[in-house]
Amino acid sequence: MDTRTAITELIHRSGLIMDDVNFKGYLDLCAPDYQYRISAYSPEIRKDMTWLEHDRAGMKSLFDNLHKHNSDKSPITRHISVCTVAIDEQAKTADVVSTLQVFRTTLDGGQTELFAVGRMLDTVALGDDGPLLKARNVRLDTRMLGFGYHIPF
Amino acid sequence: MSRNAVQWKQKPNFPESHYVDTRIYTEEDIFLDEQRKIFNKCWIIACHESEIPTAYDYRTFSHPGGPPLIVIRGEDMKVRTFYNICPHRGNTLLYEPVGNAKRITCIFHAWSFNSTGDCVDISRGKEGYQDRFACKDAGLREVKAEVGFGGFVWVNVDDDAGTLADYIGDAMGLLGGHLDEPLEVFHYHKAIVDTNYKLWHDTNSEFYHDYMHYFNRITGMIQPGYFDRKYTGYPNGHASVGSMAIKYDAYEGSKARGVGWPGLAPGGWVLIDIFPGMTYNLRTSVLRMDTAIPLGPNKLLIEFRGLGLKSDTPEQRAERIRDHNQIWGPFGRNLHEDLLGVHGQGLAMRERTDSKWVIHGREENMTIHDEGGMRHFYAEWSRRMGRDAFNPYGEQTEAAK
Ligand code: FES
Ligand SMILES: [Fe+2]
Repeated sequence: MDTRTAITELIHRSGLIMDDVNFKGYLDLCAPDYQYRISAYSPEIRKDMTWLEHDRAGMKSLFDNLHKHNSDKSPITRHISVCTVAIDEQAKTADVVSTLQVFRTTLDGGQTELFAVGRMLDTVALGDDGPLLKARNVRLDTRMLGFGYHIPF
Repeated sequence: MSRNAVQWKQKPNFPESHYVDTRIYTEEDIFLDEQRKIFNKCWIIACHESEIPTAYDYRTFSHPGGPPLIVIRGEDMKVRTFYNICPHRGNTLLYEPVGNAKRITCIFHAWSFNSTGDCVDISRGKEGYQDRFACKDAGLREVKAEVGFGGFVWVNVDDDAGTLADYIGDAMGLLGGHLDEPLEVFHYHKAIVDTNYKLWHDTNSEFYHDYMHYFNRITGMIQPGYFDRKYTGYPNGHASVGSMAIKYDAYEGSKARGVGWPGLAPGGWVLIDIFPGMTYNLRTSVLRMDTAIPLGPNKLLIEFRGLGLKSDTPEQRAERIRDHNQIWGPFGRNLHEDLLGVHGQGLAMRERTDSKWVIHGREENMTIHDEGGMRHFYAEWSRRMGRDAFNPYGEQTEAAK
């Protein structure tokens, strides 16, 4: 598999595996120095906002604690389209820009609604054993999420 | 023992101040009455001064009583508020939530207004109106505005309203000394939930629901001192809850608290509910402000703000943002739980579900799990509405006659 295809697959797989609520599988796709962020720009206060920020250990702890919280149990699905992949051979990294749509499907009846749209700005580490997620910034256009959600996108 | 239809509707065996009829959450006519008698009479937070820092900066706000508003800072740096309604053919004057406008010019027929609400130009005015109508007749409708209590911009659409200071009274005492430095909003988001605004304010007025929050159970409830916190009620329906030490280390992944807040003991917590739907929540390094804006009996818009100090270094600000996000951000652990709670109430108590009573009966010497905060709110609600929350249509009085 060529590098570009491997990177594209990694990005898509990260969405599928989260949709499957397979958190261990997700963390296996992340480099040890992984940094996750959800951010958005607020025109109302004219400021960039960070809504969630965790390193790999922080993500693990969030996942481990999830079952102790009261959460909306409706499954969500992440539709990711990889748009650009910029490989830096020297640095052994790649910068990937994808568009993201998140849908939520109710448990009772299975009605699906669009939950959020945005972009995923990823940095991928290109190691000998294949690509790993090094940093992800989920850049949301949607800022109204109703009663919200506990699991990151 | 489960109850049958008659038992379900029987008046709870509590004093009348200790329960409410759920029709106050569902009925359209009560909601319209609330807009008139509560929202159009009380001081409401429209935005924060840091959102309009320079001259001619404006912010728009949908007032819960109805009118769309413009909050604008004049050349003299004074903040004024006007209806965002063009006096000509009723167009919206400013479309964006925020901006800078030395002149407010309506896009429809180009009438112009300045930041003090005067009409300064009517296009081809003389030709069309001759001497019958001119700029002096076309000023914007001004609404009372005051900046205070942490730099928030408060508005009151009642021309006869008293001052903001009179309205707040002593209710902000617990935050005395904590709001002296200029603040800045670093977080803003809105949520719409199918529920009644009072249910959200109730959730902000009772801590018994810490059972819902895993985070609060382990960082607060099982820690010494938790049950010592007390509610204090103030005139006009405001209430406060006193400080306590919170053990943040107990939650795995919760970083040790560093940056803190001026005058607040480490682990301190102050919560002040302002009638009818605003809550100051100061915890660790962040001040959170909720503004409840009802859109209907069972539809609520909440504006959430997170504030730090204007003087923050980037490092201090980053720490406040982390503290905020862990529990209060859109992906925070507590906010989703609170919203899920009122969403569930909205589902169960929407029209014609045959819900009947909500009980506010806990008495624990006004300490943390006492439901006196909510009782205090409904006493004021009943006074302003001229109807009892336990008997909003006067049927119980009728029946007794
Ligand atoms: S509606 Fe505004 S100028 Fe005519
Ligand atoms: Fe809560």
